[in-house]
Amino acid sequence: MTLSRSAALRVGLIVLVAVLVQVSVVAQVPIFGGRANLIPVAVAALALFGGSLTGAAAGFVAGLALDLSMGMSLGGSSLVLTFVGYLIGRFAELRDVSHGLLPIAVAAAGTLGYDVAYGAITFMLDIEATVSVLVLRDMLVGVLLNALLALPLFALVRRIVRPLVADGRFEGRPRGRPREAGPIGLRGLEV
Amino acid sequence: MYPDRKTIRRRRAIFGALVLTSLALLTVWFGEPAGGALHTLQRGAQEVFSPIQTGASRALKPFRDTISWTGDTLSAKGENDRLRGELGQLRQELAATQTARRDVEQLQGFVDIAREDRFPQGTAPVTARVIARSPTVWWSSVQINRGSGDGIAVDQPVITGDGLAGKVTSVTGSTATITLIADERSSVSAQVMPAGADGIVRPEVGNPDDMLLDFVEKGSRIKTGQTVVTSGFSSSRGLESLFPRGVPVGRVKKIDRSELDIYQTVHIEPFAELKRMDFVQVLTAPRAGPGARAEVPNQ
Repeated sequence: MTLSRSAALRVGLIVLVAVLVQVSVVAQVPIFGGRANLIPVAVAALALFGGSLTGAAAGFVAGLALDLSMGMSLGGSSLVLTFVGYLIGRFAELRDVSHGLLPIAVAAAGTLGYDVAYGAITFMLDIEATVSVLVLRDMLVGVLLNALLALPLFALVRRIVRPLVADGRFEGRPRGRPREAGPIGLRGLEV
Repeated sequence: MYPDRKTIRRRRAIFGALVLTSLALLTVWFGEPAGGALHTLQRGAQEVFSPIQTGASRALKPFRDTISWTGDTLSAKGENDRLRGELGQLRQELAATQTARRDVEQLQGFVDIAREDRFPQGTAPVTARVIARSPTVWWSSVQINRGSGDGIAVDQPVITGDGLAGKVTSVTGSTATITLIADERSSVSAQVMPAGADGIVRPEVGNPDDMLLDFVEKGSRIKTGQTVVTSGFSSSRGLESLFPRGVPVGRVKKIDRSELDIYQTVHIEPFAELKRMDFVQVLTAPRAGPGARAEVPNQ
């Protein structure tokens, strides 16, 4: 997948707006005890539509912006989101991604992957306290909220970047050539 | 069409470079002191981000309040009749009115808490609005719209109108990052009143509604419902708590007394609503008040 300069600019803008809206608005609105997280959803959408390279780059930029703006462990979020973007992008490159409900599963998987991997990194680095099982509940609620947000957010991202992608990947897999055969009864016959 | 080898190599190389860069950042960030290059860069980025975050936070506040209101309404459906009655009233109010009331309540809390007998005086509190929150599920940090220009410095205690919220861990000219008491690295010396039993308040990570008071001697008589406040110790060796004596932390909820352990563990419910605070106060002169600290005899 190749992106023009203006497409890369739009991808960067999507990522930065997602981070800004997340930390300023969405993170301050608890719903059923959990919170939605636009950042992995935005990265997943860009990866699904743009491929592994776009996904990895978007994940890295999103993570870096998040770590810088929130004073979190620098490199932690970018590491996790780079993997999330790359893996979803590879999935999109290897599988048929034309199903209309696929964004729900991709957003849920991306969010779960981000939460679990970030939690694992936090544990490995410096956590020394008891961890409540409520973390699991909050993760689950977050995954469900992100799954609910997936369809409109993916549609929005698709709408923004679609005109700029050079190789037309957004159309899904190219269909195979139609079979060169006549009606069943006449196949193979010289008529 | 399957990509050629050059494309595959390029893709792997870029992915590897991004991962290595992240790992290098992580390693250097943890290895360097608080005044190191990456920490300085982070503070600079926060300085740049803060006006945008403040603007976005204010501009999107009605939207946020509407979602909050909707979320509250949905979660309240399972509550009892009294709460349903209150919910009916809330439905009739405008989101803006609710927001104004909530703001006033929180600010009133600061006035009330300062009037409490035990609360330390002369702490020069600076009121600030929460403009951003860490999006992880660990309830670890928030950012406020006041910084070093307002007299805020690292390690100053932070309270809400209900009780202790955390401490300042990073400051720029116009913003500051607060590490909450629910963060896994947090520990606060505290004592149960009126018994005076000392302990260390530590979080149960991911559950900001339940904290642990550790290292409380078994002989101490503690009862459910008693208040836990900061002990604000200081010793003649120069060791002293960051928090002044007497700031309310929470209420005793449950006590674990295991026969095998030397200490008893006390579960406390923090007074501060860490999940939903809009305003905080930074105590910019935590050591100002005479007699505000308990003395620990030199042993």
